[in-house]
Amino acid sequence: MALLDIQDLHANVAGNKILKGINLTINPGEVHAIMGPNGSGKSTLSNVLAGNEVYEKTQGEIHFDGQNLDDLAAHERACAGLFLAFQYPVEIPGISNMYFLKSAVNAVRKYRGEEQLDAMDFLDLVEEKKKIVKIRDDLLERAVNSGFSGGEKKRNEIFQMAMLEPKLGILDETDSGLDIDALRIVSDGVNALRSPDRGFLVITHYQRLLDYIVPDFVHVMIHGQIVKSGGKELALELEHDGYAFWAGEEGP
Amino acid sequence: MDLKQLRKNAAADFKARGFPTTKEELWRFTDVSELAEREFSNDWAPASVDFQPLGKHVLVFENGKLSREKSCIDNLPHGVCMGSIMDLVDPRVGRLADAQSAFVAANTAYFSDGAFIELTEGIELAEPIHLVYLADADGSAFHLRNLISCGKGSSVAVVEEYIGRSDPSDRSYWTNAVTEIFAADDSSVDHYKIQRESKTAYHFQTLEAQLGANAVFCNHSIALGSGLGRNDIRGKLTGEGGEAICNGLYLLNGKQHFDTHLFMDHAVPKCKSHELYKGILDQKARAVFCGRILVQQDAQQTDAIQSNKNLLLSRAAKIHSLPQLEIYADDVKCTHGATIGQLDDVALYYLQTRGIDPVRGRAMLTYAFANEVLDEVKCKPVKTRIEALVYEWLEKVSA
Ligand SMILES: Nc1ncnc2c1ncn2[C@@H]1O[C@H](COP(=O)(O)OP(=O)(O)OP(=O)(O)O)[C@@H](O)[C@H]1O
Ligand SMILES: [Mg+2]
Repeated sequence: MALLDIQDLHANVAGNKILKGINLTINPGEVHAIMGPNGSGKSTLSNVLAGNEVYEKTQGEIHFDGQNLDDLAAHERACAGLFLAFQYPVEIPGISNMYFLKSAVNAVRKYRGEEQLDAMDFLDLVEEKKKIVKIRDDLLERAVNSGFSGGEKKRNEIFQMAMLEPKLGILDETDSGLDIDALRIVSDGVNALRSPDRGFLVITHYQRLLDYIVPDFVHVMIHGQIVKSGGKELALELEHDGYAFWAGEEGP
Repeated sequence: MDLKQLRKNAAADFKARGFPTTKEELWRFTDVSELAEREFSNDWAPASVDFQPLGKHVLVFENGKLSREKSCIDNLPHGVCMGSIMDLVDPRVGRLADAQSAFVAANTAYFSDGAFIELTEGIELAEPIHLVYLADADGSAFHLRNLISCGKGSSVAVVEEYIGRSDPSDRSYWTNAVTEIFAADDSSVDHYKIQRESKTAYHFQTLEAQLGANAVFCNHSIALGSGLGRNDIRGKLTGEGGEAICNGLYLLNGKQHFDTHLFMDHAVPKCKSHELYKGILDQKARAVFCGRILVQQDAQQTDAIQSNKNLLLSRAAKIHSLPQLEIYADDVKCTHGATIGQLDDVALYYLQTRGIDPVRGRAMLTYAFANEVLDEVKCKPVKTRIEALVYEWLEKVSA
């Protein structure tokens, strides 16, 4: 069974048609990359998948792990194992990162019928995950993303993903804003999380990330449609030729 | 003037002026006509209201009268005096709170008890002093008068906690309190007020604080109770280097109406006053915030910041926020601002994408909003208590 199955997805934002018939299937264990010019609809796709109500799905079907996504609210999707690492992580003053993480982990565990973690067990989990995605202690104590640098925010997203152990991780331009060392650390973290039953959808503008997180498939999204799919070589082609060819073919 | 004469004059003053009406500028948004029409008795009865002492220095007032059994005034260190104001009547009563309002006049005329606290020079009290006011006598009025005097270089934390019954009761009483605080040079006074009166009670308090040179007065006022209530907080900076911090949080729902009137008087140079008031209003609650900062001509190098932020959880809730700056000096740093908003949908979505359901997400964000004020509470046991009250309130609101 496919982990994620998107059929003919159309979606609007603020009355504008952004996604115009997306088809995409991700099987467990696979890493898919989506590349595409600014404004082509990549973040719209990730938000529709995550359940953002600002984005209106007008047509098509999405199945995640056997469930119709229409039946699940955003928090239920997260609990069911769908994780979105935001292109622009949200700052929440007044809530400490640790408290936020504990609430999230326990919400997911509750949904899955698992026992709640107490303070000690939770700290143990944090220590364990810190080995996968290195994150400074002071960032964990501070309010969620508040005053974090761009790179720190991205790293915090991946740390959250490690904590929540999703079935599908959607990484929306996690690489933008990361310095060279951070890119390597975050990529190593993602690779450590790769497993036969976990899938990833990696949205990026740069071939460099895909040197570290090697994808099984690369898709090109232009004007709300996937215009070409291929293996990891496709990313190299794009790096060389740009999007002009397909963009011209499609017309704006 | 002796106290007897003062009280006689106050009674005449109260009779002459009566309760304020909404025609008066300071009472424009708070209508007390309902209170004015009520008759209140002074009959005494014991109160069956629970409380938990914060530490070992506790004065408990039960329906307006000091209860010696419930209080704990032993183990006070040398240099600290604490007891009923009726036993330790001080010539300073009425020195700060005089003719400000009908409520102060009524209090001066009729107060029947209250706390007296005095620290002599240089005394530092480690544990807080907890003043507990229990009330549940239907139809009674409690005029409570407190006087806190902190000698030069002394330091103390005082918590006033007003408690009514938490169960839905129709006990309607009127608490009319006045607290006068004298903070001498170099003293440090941490003052907390937790107001959780019955939701059908009337609660009014005037707090007057006078600060000497380099004195630090830090005031936190948390209001969750009373149907109709008001805090008048007035600080007077009379010595250079004085610092007043007045923070507050009001959490209101149902048809609660709560009014905060702050007045900070910078009379001398180089003083600081910082005020942060936050409100969370649900259902048909009403709040009034009026913060006035007066910087007199001599008060150069004043540093005054005031901010009032409100979170409205319902469309029917309403806030009147009126920050006012009156500056007569030219070399000053003064800012003020007010905001009114709803919960941040983007933040709520972010929490949801991490598995947190919207009900809990809203509660977390609401708590986060209040947190800015709670963060400033330095006295640990007080902080714990306030946090628990905020949690409890949020649970009821989101249920
Ligand atoms: N909340 C919104 N309100 C209005 N328009 C929106 C909203 N979100 C997205 N859009 C519009 O939808 C289009 C697609 O945006 P989207 O963010 O999906 O692009 P993207 O492919 O992720 O681009 P980038 O590479 O720059 O991140 C853009 O034209 C954008 O302006
Ligand atoms: Mg994007």
